Amino acid sequence: MFNYVIRRLLLMIPTFLGATLLVFVILQMAPGGPLEKTIMQIQMGSTNGGGGEGGATSSGSTSGAGTLLPKRAIKELERFYGFDKPVWQRYLIWLGVWEREIKHRNLTFKSGETEVKKNMGKRRYAYVKKNGAKLEVYDKEGNISTLWTARFDMDISDAEIINFEELKSSGKLQDIPKLEATIFETEYSGILTGNLGKSYTYQQPVIEVMKPRFKVSILLGLTGLLISYLVCIPLGIKKALNHGSKFDLLSSAIIFMAYSIPGWAFGGVLLVLFGGGSFWDVFPLGGLHSPQEIWVNLSFFEKIFDQIHHAILPIIAWTIGSFAVLTVLMKNSLLDTMSQDYIRTAFAKGLSEKRVIWVHAVRNSVIPIASGIGHIIATIIAGSYFIEMIFNINGFGKMGFQAILDRDYPITMGFLVIAVIIRLIANLLSDLALAAVDPRIRFK
Amino acid sequence: MTQQIIKSESINHKRWRKFKSLKRGYYSFILIITLYILSLFLPLFINSKALVVQYEGDYYFPAFSEVIPWVSTYYDGNMFGQDIPGAANFRQLQKSWDDSDNWLIMPIYPFNTFEDITNNENRMYEPPSTTHWLGTDNTGRDVLARMCYAFNISISFAFVLTVLNFIIGISIGGAMGYFGGKFDLFFQRFIEIWSSLPLLFVVIIISSIIQPSFALLIFIYTMVNWIFLTYYMRAEFYREKSKDYVSAAISMGQSDTKIIFKHILPNSLIPVITYFPFSMVGGILVLVSLDFLGFGLPPPTPSWGQILYVGLSNITKWWMVFSPIMAQFFTLLCIVFIGEGLREAFDPKIYSRLR
Repeated sequence: MFNYVIRRLLLMIPTFLGATLLVFVILQMAPGGPLEKTIMQIQMGSTNGGGGEGGATSSGSTSGAGTLLPKRAIKELERFYGFDKPVWQRYLIWLGVWEREIKHRNLTFKSGETEVKKNMGKRRYAYVKKNGAKLEVYDKEGNISTLWTARFDMDISDAEIINFEELKSSGKLQDIPKLEATIFETEYSGILTGNLGKSYTYQQPVIEVMKPRFKVSILLGLTGLLISYLVCIPLGIKKALNHGSKFDLLSSAIIFMAYSIPGWAFGGVLLVLFGGGSFWDVFPLGGLHSPQEIWVNLSFFEKIFDQIHHAILPIIAWTIGSFAVLTVLMKNSLLDTMSQDYIRTAFAKGLSEKRVIWVHAVRNSVIPIASGIGHIIATIIAGSYFIEMIFNINGFGKMGFQAILDRDYPITMGFLVIAVIIRLIANLLSDLALAAVDPRIRFK
Repeated sequence: MTQQIIKSESINHKRWRKFKSLKRGYYSFILIITLYILSLFLPLFINSKALVVQYEGDYYFPAFSEVIPWVSTYYDGNMFGQDIPGAANFRQLQKSWDDSDNWLIMPIYPFNTFEDITNNENRMYEPPSTTHWLGTDNTGRDVLARMCYAFNISISFAFVLTVLNFIIGISIGGAMGYFGGKFDLFFQRFIEIWSSLPLLFVVIIISSIIQPSFALLIFIYTMVNWIFLTYYMRAEFYREKSKDYVSAAISMGQSDTKIIFKHILPNSLIPVITYFPFSMVGGILVLVSLDFLGFGLPPPTPSWGQILYVGLSNITKWWMVFSPIMAQFFTLLCIVFIGEGLREAFDPKIYSRLR
């Protein structure tokens, strides 16, 4: 068993890498990414460009509204968004196994200069020496610096950089006034070191953005999960025991209906009916609690009531989603078990009906339900974004969806990482749950 | 003595008879098929163009032009003496021709999916009335007309999607089970990666990058959705391959193609058919979800999800929430009934009763 779990955990690694690489490449190769978006925003002269401008604004905004950005600024933007590297390198950087360049500073070589002293702040100086087409950085003791690295940051070939002076004096390269370079620190930081990057829109580390929203989704999902189990398992059992009865047919009709309407659409109906539009004003329209100015003045019990009041509709909508599948699964599974020989034997040897059902039959028929638990946990994440959208709840799913709209790649990837990990672990969990309820199953 | 050959009923015939005896599924099947075939000729029922126009001795059939693909659908207002720029407005013509020899017959429901407030008599957010049975939407377009056209699109989308998924899923799943080895291993890894991704999320990412058309949306969704059948087909082929009749076929020197298509496939295909309706339910739901999020078919296309989106962002306009949800609900319910009937007909499980 232990070996099996270890092996499954190890197998998750290539799956995880494959899944993230796939989406990473799609995102990075896509036209209209954050880079284009920001360039466009700056060129349109928009002052409130929500997209992350961060450290790159200073150079961008100087170009003024409506004009084309200078090459220099575009380069800096590219660097800010990490688009100055080939895709595979970007992925490795994102993973944290390739050096990430941080704290860039620009420096220029005036004509004839081969060494530049650069102020790196905090009274530190770097001495950058030109050596062919490469740059070497020394600290003030004259040793090669371990902290900084530098390289030329130009669109001309290495040979042209080496012979820059001669080419310049012979009248070539007129439009390039001087050699430009960049000096930076490097570090290994990616998801393997727990760094999911910084959101472009929220200007916060991705983890900070995700934490509160994740809590909301989990709370909602677990409550929904608990309620649907509490409703579906007894209902399924009752339906199986009274197979073909009026109760069975009636509840089947409801189940068919629940199957034909997705939970979020049902949530929409509830909202129109009870949200105070044209019908009844019973429940709030959305959010997870009342607006902040009301919320802070509430007493403890009022807060609890307020929260429940807001959560009822979303949770009903959530539960409807898994209601039909779970109940039918439970019913069919119990029916299956009831027609097995050992049940007949149990009856034949004179056990009471109660004992046969509850001790012999039900225990075996929850096996498929147990194996479904992983899938259901996975849908907490995947299924929640519609419900969160409709009820305007700032949850995990809504964040991921909004991130796609905003081209906020760090958040999009962060959402994906969490979703993939949850799925992988949920799959393992359902296999383990299966082994726990079914002693016949032994994993090797 | 006359020799009477009693031909035994084929298994498929039996199944069909069983399916027919399950009224709920059978009537749903007939209903959906009829509605879908009717919806192919929707321009004749729900259209702002007249069915027949008699103008100064000549006959015109504007509505029919939309059913026949190679005929121009454009009828200029000047053709019928109407003093407006652009296309003819047949509803106005009908009113103005009350006391003349010219006449025209409008379709039963004289609105189309695209006329918005730029047509002078249309208004935004009209609640249901006798003119607009299900009201109008945020740009003054008739909701009922859009709903009906959306029905056609939804069913077509789900059908094409499901057929493609089945073809790809069955071929790859079957090949995995039959050939095994490296091929199987490769695809198993691949499928595991695919299935660990939140697929709708990936579809949304792709749709947010390229504005999808009908074909592209089907392509994208097929790409991510074919895997669910491979599990079943793989197991089925794997099991069938070890049976005696396949060994016999192999020992007779039959080719792989013949064994796969002639021997194994017919045996393992039948149970798969019961998945078909449920897969269509999934297809319709996906289209509604994507349209709702704004990542589905390009904007003027009528779709349930888009109407639902407008309705839910204007919560007082209840007709735009109820109509699409009800339409979707009844369509799906019918398809679920069909699926249930098929399952019953193909896989009759007789449960023993307690007493």
